[in-house]
Amino acid sequence: MHNVVIIGAGPAGLSASLAAAAAGAPVLLIDSNPRLGGQYWRMSADDFQDQHNQHFDLDTGLLLINAVKARKEIEVWSGAQIWSATNKDGKNTLRIIYQGKERIVNTENLILCTGAYDRTLPFPGWDIPGVMTPGGVQSLLKGHGVLAGRRVVVAGSGPFLLPVAAGVIKAGGSVVALLEASKSRRWLTSFFVLLENISKIKEAFYYIKTISEAKVRARFGQAVIAAHAASNGELESVDIAKIDRNFRIKKVQNIKCDVAAIGWGFTADTSLAGSLGCNQLVAKDDGVVVWVDGEQQTSIPGVFAAGEITGIGGSDLSMAEGVIAGISAAKFVGCNVEVLKAHRKRRAKRQRFANALIRAYPIKPGWKSWLKDETIICRCEEVCLSDLKHSINELGATDSRTAKLLTRCGMGLCQGRICGRFVVDLVANELNLSPTDTDRISAVNRPIITPIPLGVLALGE
Amino acid sequence: MKNPDAIVIGAGVVGACCALALTNAGLKVLIIDRGPVASGTTGAGEGNILVSDKEPSAELTLAIRSRDLWFEIDTDIGGGFELEAKGGVVVSRSAKGISDLKRLSALQKVNGVEVIELDGAGLRKIEPHLSESVDYGVLYPGDAQCQPMLAAAQIIRAVKKRGGSFIQGENVVKINANAGSITGVTTDKNQYASPIIINATGTWAGEIAKLAGSYLPIMPRRGFILVTSPAPKIVHHKVYDADYVANVASSDADLQSAAVVEGTASGTILIGASRERVGFKGDMDISILRQLARQAISLFPVLADIQLLRAYRGFRPYAPDHLPVIGPDKNIAGLWHAAGHEGAGIGLAPATGDLIAAQITGRTPFMDPSAFSPVRFKGGEYVAV
Ligand SMILES: Cc1cc2nc3c(=O)[nH]c(=O)nc-3n(C[C@H](O)[C@H](O)[C@H](O)COP(=O)(O)OP(=O)(O)OC[C@H]3O[C@@H](n4cnc5c(N)ncnc54)[C@H](O)[C@@H]3O)c2cc1C
Ligand SMILES: Cc1cc2nc3c(=O)[nH]c(=O)nc-3n(C[C@H](O)[C@H](O)[C@H](O)COP(=O)(O)OP(=O)(O)OC[C@H]3O[C@@H](n4cnc5c(N)ncnc54)[C@H](O)[C@@H]3O)c2cc1C
Repeated sequence: MHNVVIIGAGPAGLSASLAAAAAGAPVLLIDSNPRLGGQYWRMSADDFQDQHNQHFDLDTGLLLINAVKARKEIEVWSGAQIWSATNKDGKNTLRIIYQGKERIVNTENLILCTGAYDRTLPFPGWDIPGVMTPGGVQSLLKGHGVLAGRRVVVAGSGPFLLPVAAGVIKAGGSVVALLEASKSRRWLTSFFVLLENISKIKEAFYYIKTISEAKVRARFGQAVIAAHAASNGELESVDIAKIDRNFRIKKVQNIKCDVAAIGWGFTADTSLAGSLGCNQLVAKDDGVVVWVDGEQQTSIPGVFAAGEITGIGGSDLSMAEGVIAGISAAKFVGCNVEVLKAHRKRRAKRQRFANALIRAYPIKPGWKSWLKDETIICRCEEVCLSDLKHSINELGATDSRTAKLLTRCGMGLCQGRICGRFVVDLVANELNLSPTDTDRISAVNRPIITPIPLGVLALGE
Repeated sequence: MKNPDAIVIGAGVVGACCALALTNAGLKVLIIDRGPVASGTTGAGEGNILVSDKEPSAELTLAIRSRDLWFEIDTDIGGGFELEAKGGVVVSRSAKGISDLKRLSALQKVNGVEVIELDGAGLRKIEPHLSESVDYGVLYPGDAQCQPMLAAAQIIRAVKKRGGSFIQGENVVKINANAGSITGVTTDKNQYASPIIINATGTWAGEIAKLAGSYLPIMPRRGFILVTSPAPKIVHHKVYDADYVANVASSDADLQSAAVVEGTASGTILIGASRERVGFKGDMDISILRQLARQAISLFPVLADIQLLRAYRGFRPYAPDHLPVIGPDKNIAGLWHAAGHEGAGIGLAPATGDLIAAQITGRTPFMDPSAFSPVRFKGGEYVAV
């Protein structure tokens, strides 16, 4: 029987691996992190130290991780980075850097579970050392047991701010402000969805308990709109503002801090799926995601996808999708299994919750009014807003691709992973247009998924 | 714009240079492109302005003049396109290659190209990271570079400031003529009248010729370029293997490549470029990337540890004899071609514009343009590869 190759060992990939293996399909699980667990169950190297205090539900994670390790039908390559993937005549070729060498895997059956990363918005001073993403702060805590700074401002939008604030407090830091840009009342409009996803409410209350015990009060309708550096170049303070429903600034106040963790939800990491040629679409939050059918199959037969790359929805939805993808892929290679009604129901319930979240935390266009002409837009290539405007108003760029080529915006080390998504909005705004789906999709696709040393490239066949 | 004196189809670097030369000669010019500025091959190549890679020929004469014109344009429009006289270094490691390179550079010197022969020690003085295996090379101080997309955009901006206009997002679908003379063009959105049309559509120039009922055998030749992550200064000039010169003139359909390695202002290193005749085939061919990486490392071993960040490809416009097509169409009066510059369109664009403007306005051109005349292609059907 053929192998099912699964990429990504987060909640989706672990669930998919177990489901496929249980159905009788041998699995090769590939993940770039040194340890299994993905973003949600990221752990530090020290296995003996209890890491539960940085996690709400590490038990589920450990259960899945240990089950994957125990199954002999699952071969695991951890610390293996796929740098290129192509699809030709129904065959998928994965090129992987693993243990310092390049490996090539050819397969017809793939499950993509490559997850998501923090969504960022620019503002004056966001390039100052000390301004981070919540994911960055959490990865340091979970992955290395390191607290990024003592006085932390946590801001942006979305439920992910809560675990990050709670994590900082548990690690002995102080959260000097916790700011949610949206208004709290939106939650009530999706009451029934909340009820049927009671475990998620428990999770939220778990974080809120830690936060309120530390006497931190979340403030709604507020955001960090500027950051200021001390003479040593490091972050000294941030400007926080009351903002209106469209994110326009009403009233500003300055507060001192060492670290500002600012995030606006997540961006799906679709670059691998995009290189293979899987169809992508623009979701309600304007993020690009991979299209899948009810069996979690992408537009390429035999290639499945699950988790955040099919739409941002949290770890529970990722697991529900992972199970279905695992079963579908096993069925595709000839195992005698079916996706059960219960599986679909579980996914549907969690999907409703994810939809409610996206409705509850809309990112409004007023954030663009926080920027100044000299605000850096692309940190890698140090392109400012005025450069972008110049490329449009003087040099005649009429789309984000041309603006990018004329300014080098998004052409640096991160290859637009950080700025690509919002540059599309900024360019369209300057042109008085709304971005097209094609603009958004081409901004997140790149043929080289992750950098590879030329020496390794040269040695391959 | 009402009744332009001339319409330039194509807002690549060649169209831009033609438009500027005509504008400076006093004509009212309209540029039309189906996409934004530099959305064709100009936005998918490198910006080498080379005199080093050409045999003494009409093309070398064009290249030498064009190189100087780039600096004149820089002054004329106020720069803004990263023009730099960087210098090229051509090396060879085989006995045959070295003797060919010696012969070529001697001939180039007679034709007015500055050449400086260097031994291993001399080479490593100007390129400290160059492989120990190299002990002969020629420095060409005249080789230069620019950022081609910015060049096209800045030139078109100057044309607009001087009374010309640029319409983008309109596809030319018809060339209008009356009694064998051009009357204008029809796009998918509008119609424009003019007695003169310059076909500067690069790789697609054959299709425009066909729309006009004429014939031009321009075909695509694919090329890939590697871009590395920013690194400390490793490469100071454009450095390439003499094999590259042999490739440029080749008509073999198979893949050929000889890495041209150069460092950029932003610290990234560009490695280009392969040459293949595979039609408009867009998929990523990893074996080509590997070959370019191998060749670059063989010139600069330290590159082995530098990361490849991205790769992109473009389609060079080429004619069967690998010479650009510059001049009046043989069938229709008022139709001019400026296309088919293959891997040298950035370098050759200003002199191309100058030749076109001189012939249209009746000024004596700086050289005899007959080698580039479209008349050299005899009839036949245009066949896309
Ligand atoms: C930094 C961060 C922290 C988060 N913390 C929380 C939290 O505390 N609570 C919460 O509810 N949600 C959190 N989330 C949301 C989280 O994404 C989901 O809840 C869940 O982890 C998604 O599961 P997944 O399996 O889809 O992807 P992930 O867990 O993101 O796993 C994807 C895996 O794929 C691997 N991968 C990707 N591309 C490649 C490649 N080319 N080659 C090899 N491997 C690759 C990655 O290394 C990663 O391990 C967090 C997200 C991020 C980005
Ligand atoms: C990988 C690679 C590396 C290269 N490196 C170099 C180098 O270092 N130095 C150098 O000198 N050259 C180099 N070249 C070659 C150079 O890029 C080209 O010769 C040059 O860009 C051609 O310019 P152009 O203006 O003729 O064509 P293009 O830039 O392709 O412009 C043609 C324009 O015509 C438009 N068009 C086409 N059909 C229509 C229509 N029907 N209606 C309206 N508009 C239309 C297109 O949209 C396009 O914008 C390289 C090329 C490649 C692929």
